[in-house]
Amino acid sequence: MMRRILRLVACALIISGVLLPLIPQMVWSFATNWFFPALLPPQWGFKAWRYVLSPSSQVGEALWNSIGVAVLVVLLAVVIGLPAARVLGLQQFRGKQMVTWLLTAPLFVPTIVVIMGIHIVFIRYGLADTFLGVVFVHLIPALPYFILLMSSVFANYAIEFEETARTLGASAMRTFWHVTLPAIWPGLTVAMLFTFLVSWSQYITTVLIGGGRVVTLPMVLFPLISAANHTNAAAVSLVFILPAILILILTSHALDSNASAIGGLGRL
Amino acid sequence: MTTVQVQALSKRYNAITAVKGLELTVKSGELVALLGPSGCGKTTTMRMIAGLLPPTTGDILFDGRSVLAIPAERRGAVMVFQKHLLFPHMNVAENVGFGLKMRGLAKAEIARRVHAMLELVQLTGFEQRRAQALSGGQQQRVALARALVIEPQVLLLDEPLANLDANLRLEMRWLIRTIQKALGITTIFVTHDQEEAVMLADRVALLVDGTLQQFDEPRAFYERPRSTTVARFFRNENFLAGIKRGNQVQTEVGTLTVECGDELADGAVFLTMRPEHVLINSPQTTNVLAATVDTVLYMGSYLQVQIQIGTVRWVINTAANADVQPGCPIRIQLPPSQLWLVPADG
Amino acid sequence: MPLLGLQTPTIRHYVALFTDPSFATSFLLTLYLAATSTMLAMILAVAAAMLLRRAFLGSRIVTVIFQLPLPVPHLVAAAGMVLLLTQSGLFARILYGTGLLERPNQFPVLVFDRWQIATILVYLWKEVPFIGLVVLAILNSIGQEYEEIAQTLGANRWQRFRYVLLPLITPGLVTTGIIVFAFVFGSFEIPLLLGQRYPNVLPVTAYRAYVDPDLQQRPVAMAIGVVITAMVMLLLSLPLRYSRHIGKRK
Repeated sequence: MMRRILRLVACALIISGVLLPLIPQMVWSFATNWFFPALLPPQWGFKAWRYVLSPSSQVGEALWNSIGVAVLVVLLAVVIGLPAARVLGLQQFRGKQMVTWLLTAPLFVPTIVVIMGIHIVFIRYGLADTFLGVVFVHLIPALPYFILLMSSVFANYAIEFEETARTLGASAMRTFWHVTLPAIWPGLTVAMLFTFLVSWSQYITTVLIGGGRVVTLPMVLFPLISAANHTNAAAVSLVFILPAILILILTSHALDSNASAIGGLGRL
Repeated sequence: MTTVQVQALSKRYNAITAVKGLELTVKSGELVALLGPSGCGKTTTMRMIAGLLPPTTGDILFDGRSVLAIPAERRGAVMVFQKHLLFPHMNVAENVGFGLKMRGLAKAEIARRVHAMLELVQLTGFEQRRAQALSGGQQQRVALARALVIEPQVLLLDEPLANLDANLRLEMRWLIRTIQKALGITTIFVTHDQEEAVMLADRVALLVDGTLQQFDEPRAFYERPRSTTVARFFRNENFLAGIKRGNQVQTEVGTLTVECGDELADGAVFLTMRPEHVLINSPQTTNVLAATVDTVLYMGSYLQVQIQIGTVRWVINTAANADVQPGCPIRIQLPPSQLWLVPADG
Repeated sequence: MPLLGLQTPTIRHYVALFTDPSFATSFLLTLYLAATSTMLAMILAVAAAMLLRRAFLGSRIVTVIFQLPLPVPHLVAAAGMVLLLTQSGLFARILYGTGLLERPNQFPVLVFDRWQIATILVYLWKEVPFIGLVVLAILNSIGQEYEEIAQTLGANRWQRFRYVLLPLITPGLVTTGIIVFAFVFGSFEIPLLLGQRYPNVLPVTAYRAYVDPDLQQRPVAMAIGVVITAMVMLLLSLPLRYSRHIGKRK
């Protein structure tokens, strides 16, 4: 009996703890003039949403930029990262520990530090203040993340499937398309979605390298929070969070079965 | 030393009844084998006795007192599983001493008892080793030591030897038997191997499909099986249908004399005799039947002969040098003292 | 790796840095932030994992909700915290409504404050599910048989946790904890947003030096950056050494 009560309390704590930072925001975005000490908005309105939709808020522009950058980052990560992850996951070679460590280091070296150093390079190569530059700078944390996740997928992958296909006469291309891809697809989708999120959440990298020319959603959100502009910040927040929630729904069942990916992170 | 009583024990999982109305009494210091094919409810029963699983109905008593309300950690019934499950982060001494540590014994006392127990299982000197560094047999001996050192009321062994290879199994059976007798701990031993059950147990409880078929000393399963199910489990497929009248049984191949069956009513029965008791070319004249030899298999230390008597097939185990040829007629004799009757619907 | 591209390498800046008391304050603040966030996150994560490991009525929903923070960007969490925790925020209003509070400034300062309370809460919100999932995966792979054996050997619930479960989850837990610590140590955006202008954590100090119109501050920024990197690298080498140590004990 006592257990059940404790369990109930714990569940309530988890649910409220998770939802408390989120629900009020949703409410606030539909409020007008919601000041202390009112517990509920005295007036409801779409002021914040009108702001969001107006071009002067740059939300529309930022949304497209964020999506565009993130999609490109994912594509590049797959193209560059998949072969690397395959090698890392399937093969053993001298110095593998070192390479793994080197590859994952950018994940943890604080991006702020990396940016300060890389900025000069970007300026020199004309990448500063450009869309492409932002894509590249997002790749710095995104690519290792992708490689790490995919290498653990490959580690659980049986290369015998491919060998069988090859002996049955399939070319490399067809083997990849018909054998490899379907086998790694679940892990690949999770990796792609989380790589998307890495790029989606980038702030300071975009600010410094984009130089204010490339505007993304976090860049719109940050000053709104800083200025305590609650209603508008809440609305932009909701726009910002939408893909994230979609992603969670899409991957939640895959996450259960791919706990190995998360567990892989724990085995780092 | 504890007696264990199981009364009307049942376990139901939604539509499936794993254990049906089990009644069992294990005497103090006795080793009872729970025998049966996989999935017959043996492990479920053990877990209920240990307190790891609540029964759906029924009661479990230790020394005449119900233990259903007592949680597993205080029941005093210790389990040893098929997987040794030695704690991987502890060495042998820490594993064995675990139960004592949970009871709050002093370190010196724990060390002393652990040492004594390791001697008993013939693993002196292994204190510092890690579980992974041991062989299968050694691991099971540590698991056994871990269970015994806390002097439990009841020892529950769930197919502990199933993962070991054949030779090791024989060794370990001896060890378990010797230690159990020496310490006098009431023990229940689960196995699917009838040889093992017969060798180790004071009494055997045969479970098939969650129901108790027979609870007897080992010999009875061979000489006095209660039903065709029991006989079959102990590798006796020799049955002959007949009608019983007194001590005569009429069958399709003749009338046979029996010395048993007083408690069975006259009427339809099955005659049965173990393969090793059927005689070929015997000088006796009672219960002699004509049969034809089907096949002869050389088994090394004996010959397995499959014969046809009337419409039924029987198996005979006879001397390896017997003169038997496939396809030939043969005269078999069924000594009345070893002919047994089971109910027709058994 | 950061390049000191502006002038010939010199240790002049490092010397200046280590003798500057505000650097020490910033460093200690960063350590405090990372340590508190990580410690609390680990404890809460283990508690949550212990709760969610066995199925019960509604456990599936709770587990899904528990994972909700994972894909949510930190900024959104920060926005939420601001709404809740400022002196005119939701919690203050609830307290006012129940009569425990009379004026907004009686509510403690939790945002834009020196102790980075709101920042810690943001990191807790994000990291507890992360560590929790790792621990859950470990618990699932352990299974419940070890605990059952311990139970029949007389161990009660707490003993089973302390002597059987905890040692088995510690390696994974510690590794994940180190990752989280390194991440929080080097993180910049949330402390910038929710902390005070001064003092703030090292990455923020570095950033301010970097964007300072006085270009002489650039090398200082770089120097701070190197210190941060060194610290993070040091931390990340620990799991390697730790797992080798564990391996040796076997």
